[in-house]
Amino acid sequence: MNDTFEDRLLAALKADMAARPARATAPRRVTGRRLFAAAGVLGVAAAAAVAVPMAIGADTPAYALTKNADGSINLKIREFRDPDQVERDLAGMGVTADITYLPLGKWCGNLRITPVQGDNFSFTPEEIASKDPAVKARMRKRLESSISYKAIEPRNGITIHPEYIKPGQVVVIDVAENPVEPTVDNPGVSWQMRGMLSAGPPEPCQIVDQPGASEIGDATPPPGS
Amino acid sequence: MRLKQKGPAGIADDPEAFEAFYRRHFDAVTRFLARRVGDPHAVADLTAEVFLAVLDSAHTYRPGKGSEIAWLYGVTRNTLLAERRRSARELRANSRVAGRRLLESDDVARLEDRIDAESPARRAMEAMAGLPENERALMELVAVDGLSPAEAAAALGIRQGTARVRLHRARRALQRIPGVVPPLVMEGQR
Repeated sequence: MNDTFEDRLLAALKADMAARPARATAPRRVTGRRLFAAAGVLGVAAAAAVAVPMAIGADTPAYALTKNADGSINLKIREFRDPDQVERDLAGMGVTADITYLPLGKWCGNLRITPVQGDNFSFTPEEIASKDPAVKARMRKRLESSISYKAIEPRNGITIHPEYIKPGQVVVIDVAENPVEPTVDNPGVSWQMRGMLSAGPPEPCQIVDQPGASEIGDATPPPGS
Repeated sequence: MRLKQKGPAGIADDPEAFEAFYRRHFDAVTRFLARRVGDPHAVADLTAEVFLAVLDSAHTYRPGKGSEIAWLYGVTRNTLLAERRRSARELRANSRVAGRRLLESDDVARLEDRIDAESPARRAMEAMAGLPENERALMELVAVDGLSPAEAAAALGIRQGTARVRLHRARRALQRIPGVVPPLVMEGQR
């Protein structure tokens, strides 16, 4: 995808752009509270979207992609700023990945994947709009039982479990990062991620505006989280 | 991805507009640098520095004060001057994007070709080396980089009248150098 110096430099500069305002602010206190939001489209949903407010420190150094003793692979948000490098690193660990890095407020409007078996859950619009904790818990459970969620787990950054990935399947991760680090006083979504398995090569991301990306509602964690 | 035609002022917080700007001017910036720097790795570092500087200073662009390319050459020139004041090692240590680390062998070969292709421009600049600094800077931008006198004035942040006077003086001085024939236009790369 990025074949020349021109392309690689552009990717690096865009990553710098995304990090820019965050660099200007002083290190902030961080809390670990997480908001879980599931997004799906009636009938075709196979997407696990997680919005994480105030979960990442402002001055955390760039991490190395780490392989855990159990075979899982750990990825931290900062690595996504150089998506092609992450793709290459993951390829070196035997995982085919397609990673899109966006500023918060933009999102891939298309479902880029061909769903894999075991991912055929879907949400109704009523479920997505529901504020009932019981409904949210059911949605969460369904999401967590999907193969995509098991393979691409939003824990400790993102934890990839290669044992759930069959040959030929592609790990598709879309990340949108807020260039402004949310704080306790000024809460907001720090980053959003969508991780899915695709049965074949994914479609390119069609970037759309996502004006409500920074809205975190009342930021109440779902029960059991 | 839809590419917007947006001037420098709005690109710092709009990745799409920045990409369009970058693609429009990447070649011009590397050529400008290849006329002045003989090492492909240094050209790569400086190209990264220039576009970082563009992001840092996009808000200083005023459309009424000359063309986009004049503004960009001004930024490029300032980046180059800053680099010459600092050591190359210091530049690399402090840079947020290390240009040379993004180079692969094909890219190095392409940049070397570009540097070779600019050798007539380098000879022209050597011929101007004896001019006073303020005349030389202007003459370079006009005769070698292909800016109009008004654009060159904008790039250097001087008045157009001042630029005309300096150019006139520079041309007269160059006429007296054997082997240099004004107006010395080597190319009009835009």
